[in-house]
Amino acid sequence: MTVIALPRRMDVQQAREDLSRRTLSEIVRPLDRLIYLASMRDYNTGVYHHDGLASRFSDEVACEALADCHREVFHQLVVCPLEDLVNQLEAYRKSTHTGPREFLTAWRRLEPYRVAVPVETDPLGAEFLFSNFKIALAILEARLDSLPAGLTA
Amino acid sequence: MIQLIFFLFVGALLLSSLFFLARRGSRAEGNAQVLVEARQALNALQAGLLPRELVGRIFADDDREYVASAAPGPLYELFLKERKKVALSWVNQVHTQVLSLKRFHLGAARFYTRLSLRTEIEVAWHFAALLMACRALQLVVYLGGPFAAPRMVGTTAAVASRVCEISEKSLAFLNPVQFGPLADRSVGL
Repeated sequence: MTVIALPRRMDVQQAREDLSRRTLSEIVRPLDRLIYLASMRDYNTGVYHHDGLASRFSDEVACEALADCHREVFHQLVVCPLEDLVNQLEAYRKSTHTGPREFLTAWRRLEPYRVAVPVETDPLGAEFLFSNFKIALAILEARLDSLPAGLTA
Repeated sequence: MIQLIFFLFVGALLLSSLFFLARRGSRAEGNAQVLVEARQALNALQAGLLPRELVGRIFADDDREYVASAAPGPLYELFLKERKKVALSWVNQVHTQVLSLKRFHLGAARFYTRLSLRTEIEVAWHFAALLMACRALQLVVYLGGPFAAPRMVGTTAAVASRVCEISEKSLAFLNPVQFGPLADRSVGL
């Protein structure tokens, strides 16, 4: 009989605190956190990897802690006011040093937020957040269009 | 000849009755599938559809006011269209999950010998009111938009939460904590 030891809740909690203290505290906005945490996930397996965290705890504990944080930050974004999401999106765009027009076009076409959703997310929550992203992008685009030419950086 | 036709008719009637009963039996209420569906419906309602924060955000008037001031015109129309879609999806999903819970309760009532008439009437009333409220809300949101009936949304969510509380008690025996050793986070394969 093979026994698979699932990570203990207490270890996961400690790993979460460690991750929050060392890494997530440096990332202020929930949107940036969502993108960061989604990037820690292997798209082929759905497993999260974080070498530093895994070396201090274990692969399983690190994975569970990252998944927990991912779900938490996703929830924060789902229930945040639309105005807040628009501001976060604009701030994130500036942090990437991408031109506004280029950024908005890419986000509207590729919809990268769709792959940033945690596994086993409630479908309505995801649908709601996608809808809010769509509106937020449209608002930013309208804002950009209203600016005089040459003031779009 | 008339007698033969009569007996053939009765025979066919009996056969079709047997077929109907056999089909009903294959999805007998109270079986494991219904229990699993009820548990899933309860989880979907409690964790996904009814949290106050989410419901409040979907029907939030401050979002509407923000879009109206920041981006009037076609963008405001887009916002209303998007919110209406999500709002209708929310009502539809609540309705579907409540129907699943209702099926479970109907099945459970057949197997429970010590029914309390008062509780059963209360449950039946809540289910009937909730399903009717969902239909009415669908119509209101469809015709008037997502911000047309905030009090109705609140009432529907409150009644749905009450139904969840009642169902939670009925499904308590499925909670893993009651299985003792199985609640341990080690899985033997």
